[in-house]
Amino acid sequence: MKKNRVRSTVLLAIFLTTSAMITSFAFTGCETTNEIKIAVAGPYTGSVAAFGEMIKRGAELKAKEINTAGGVNGKTLTLIFEDDAGKDKEASLVAERIASNRQILAVVGHFNSACSLAGKPIYKRAGIVELSPGSTNVNVAAGSDWTFRNIYRDDFQAAFAAKYIKNILGDIQKVAVFFDNDDYGSGLKDSFTAEAKELGLEIVGIEAYDRDNTDFKAQLTSIKAKQPDLIFLSGLYSQAGLIASQAREVGIAAQLFGADGVDSPDFLEIAGDAAEGTYVTTPFVFRLDDPKAQKMATAFEEMHGVAPDTWAALTYDAVGMIVEAIEKGGENRKAIRDHLASITSPEKGYDGITGLTYFDENGDCTKPAYVKIVEDGQFVPAAEQMLGID
Amino acid sequence: MAQFLEQIINGLVLGGIYALIAVGYTMVYGIIQLINFAHGEIFMFGAYFAFLCVTTFGLSFWVALPLSMAMCAVMGMLIDFVAYRPLRNAPRLSALITAIGMSLVLQNLAREIWGARWRKFPVEATPTVLTGNAIPLPGGAQVSFLDVFIILLAVGLMIGLNRLIHLTKIGKAMRACAQNRVAASLMGIDTNRVITVTFAIGSALGAVAGVMVGLREVTEPAMGYYKGVAAFAAAVLGGIGNITGAMLGGVVLGVAEALGAGYVSSGYRLAIAYIIMILVIIFRPSGLLGKSTATRA
Repeated sequence: MKKNRVRSTVLLAIFLTTSAMITSFAFTGCETTNEIKIAVAGPYTGSVAAFGEMIKRGAELKAKEINTAGGVNGKTLTLIFEDDAGKDKEASLVAERIASNRQILAVVGHFNSACSLAGKPIYKRAGIVELSPGSTNVNVAAGSDWTFRNIYRDDFQAAFAAKYIKNILGDIQKVAVFFDNDDYGSGLKDSFTAEAKELGLEIVGIEAYDRDNTDFKAQLTSIKAKQPDLIFLSGLYSQAGLIASQAREVGIAAQLFGADGVDSPDFLEIAGDAAEGTYVTTPFVFRLDDPKAQKMATAFEEMHGVAPDTWAALTYDAVGMIVEAIEKGGENRKAIRDHLASITSPEKGYDGITGLTYFDENGDCTKPAYVKIVEDGQFVPAAEQMLGID
Repeated sequence: MAQFLEQIINGLVLGGIYALIAVGYTMVYGIIQLINFAHGEIFMFGAYFAFLCVTTFGLSFWVALPLSMAMCAVMGMLIDFVAYRPLRNAPRLSALITAIGMSLVLQNLAREIWGARWRKFPVEATPTVLTGNAIPLPGGAQVSFLDVFIILLAVGLMIGLNRLIHLTKIGKAMRACAQNRVAASLMGIDTNRVITVTFAIGSALGAVAGVMVGLREVTEPAMGYYKGVAAFAAAVLGGIGNITGAMLGGVVLGVAEALGAGYVSSGYRLAIAYIIMILVIIFRPSGLLGKSTATRA
């Protein structure tokens, strides 16, 4: 009897020590690490994967710089990349996964407007910041205290594009709009057509396309019959690239003008010669006389072997903003939001490479737009910019 | 008028591409009653094979096209051998699920190997005949050389296939298997060989469609899904199992899509094509040219 009790005590002791060891091991595995985790959600696969690639690279560069400089409050910054494939359905799943992982303190993303919109209610419910470096749809940030963006809204971008076409391109009267039938493309189309009509441009045709489609000749044939002077491409670079080349094939000579969704080096690759002379609006240009941007571009090329694009730059800044919020606000989800929400004036703004970012009550920000043009197979800042026109 | 003519041509090009893919679905269905969902992926691999031939290996387009056809034929036979043959006598649902699985595996394999990026066929590698200026048509319309080439190639291949089915011994064996596989094997026809040949021919034609889409549009891992579903609908529209029906179904669907996009609503171009398909199926459940045979199942 006594022997039995001794044996069971020994067994119990062994059991307790082992379980203690296991738990402590498990705890070192996740709780007490010296890590700060933030998620970067974007389209790493799918038809707009080139955006995702640049977003990833931009975030990686910022994380590397932060970690080399001593990390966040002395802790290592770890990025968790989550792929939404540029689709809203995938984005909801990704958002649920991120929100339920308590170690993740904030989200940089999503990129596509439809994805940010899909993630918004989930992040709001879970109470985690969503800071988008690329979603421009008007409704993205409104209605949630947890969603922010460091880029302009489409109503601003569309008005800017329409004014540029009217005031600077000159002798453009008839405009056709070809839009991607999703939140980004159709929202931008609505804003653009409203503004263009107000400026006295004639909208001769509005055609839609579906993101999965790669044959646009039927719509382009309709557009051709309306004889527009300019076609406004309200969509993303991959389809826009094909539209450019197919437009030339069906015999359309009109000027092409895209919005920031077209601003990707892959547009040039897909469109080939047809890209030449295309204008795009964009939230950022790497200017030679901008030392901060040039420094980032050099470091980026050193790390990744290619030049950065607009989206790499905006993601770079978004990661920087989140890190600043962690350092100044605190290492929890709520503190990050409160800090971001307190950035309401230019004086408090985050001074990144893409300019000063500060938010209004929705979480939107006021940032300038620029115009690029394709010359000799390269995107270059257009000779005439339109800064100061609001 | 010019616009109408151009839209019809747009539709015929699309239709030719759909028809080339659709015969692959319908031939396999005719013989083993299997909807080979992996066929769309073979079409996609056809585009990639040709793309690799001209870029990585620097071959001429005229070599790349037959080479891609041959590679896809082998691939089609392999898929049959690996995935479908072991299930030949299993319930049809098992083979169908396997086909869907195969399609997913192949699509993700392509994404893994070549990435999700869109690849545009290099202009330098495109034969100059096909990049030539547009041909003017009466009434101010115009058509590109490539589109004419695609239509002619599709028509030529369809006639060739039709002759093969009706004039050769293997064609006769294929028709026999389609009528009754068991009886055909009792008559001394090696049905497994016939099935292999069917997969090879269907896949090679799918590869041609893939190369054409790669040339005209773009090469990407998901292309097989989008065009594959449309081509499958074309096969059903024409009467699944009926080769002439698949050709006709492809052309009807393609023209409906182009005219729908041009004159009704561009946002719903596929929806319009599918509504036409549904209407046909409602009034003719076995498709345009399909025969209603209750004993097929």
